[in-house]
Amino acid sequence: MPSTQDAQLLKGVLSLLLLRLVAERESYGYELVQRLRGIGLSGITDGTVYPALARLEREGRVATRLAESRSGPARKYYRPTGDGYRALTEGADGWLRLAGVVTPVLSPPVPDEPAPPAEEG
Amino acid sequence: MNRAHDMRLPLDDRLRIERTLWTLDSHLDDLPFRIKRARRREMRATLYAAAADVGTAEAVRRLGDLTTLAADYLAAEYGDRGPRPSYTMGAVWLITVHVVAGLVTEAGTAAFTAGVLAAEPRATGDFRWSGVPWFIDEATITLRGGEETAAVGGAWAPLVYLISVAALVVGGRLWRLLPWWRRRHAAAPHG
Repeated sequence: MPSTQDAQLLKGVLSLLLLRLVAERESYGYELVQRLRGIGLSGITDGTVYPALARLEREGRVATRLAESRSGPARKYYRPTGDGYRALTEGADGWLRLAGVVTPVLSPPVPDEPAPPAEEG
Repeated sequence: MNRAHDMRLPLDDRLRIERTLWTLDSHLDDLPFRIKRARRREMRATLYAAAADVGTAEAVRRLGDLTTLAADYLAAEYGDRGPRPSYTMGAVWLITVHVVAGLVTEAGTAAFTAGVLAAEPRATGDFRWSGVPWFIDEATITLRGGEETAAVGGAWAPLVYLISVAALVVGGRLWRLLPWWRRRHAAAPHG
């Protein structure tokens, strides 16, 4: 399971990931959970993903259609709308810009002790 | 729902899924009926798919706490403003109270008149019905030769109007208009 902090970080970017996944391939709810686990988010819970999909649907960023299933009730498949594609493009750009700023700061090994203040150095 | 395909899951698994859906449903009363039904259908399909993959118990477990899930669904639907009042339901409850009070009034006067006529089929004069304490004021029914010619009184007492207002407020959940409630809801964490 991810830590609480990881879960909060994930919630911030989950909508973006879902839009990206359904842009690659129309999928239904449980399939998206599996695909998220497949990319490494092994601790993600189903209960986190479904409300996020509901939110995207309410915001008009995904369209849905029902399709018969051979193993159970009809499944609801998601795909991005025009707004969804725009949100994905803008969100991805924003995320990559942020990551570009944050990654160089966080990547180097953490020093054992902080350096003295600049005026004393 | 394709019931023919549901037969692939054992009965106890299907019952477990339905119980989970019912529990989730009971926390989603604030959603409009159409959306609530859509969520239930989607969740049923999802649980069947997950149950076929990892077993029903694990599929249900992975949903997490159903109260939290329902709160996240509500937040997804209403955003930070929270659920709104339901004026339609408020009106339904208000009308229901008035219809019931009207029926009680009609039934009371009709029963009283029937009682008078049972004792004296050709009754003539003014007859006083004492009403229903706290709810319906007394009424005077005028009979001529066993026929009702007039009825005066039988008004609803203030308590009926108080109940009407309470029905409107509770049925319509009008407290959601209050600023403190909206602030508190907006401060609640959302998924």
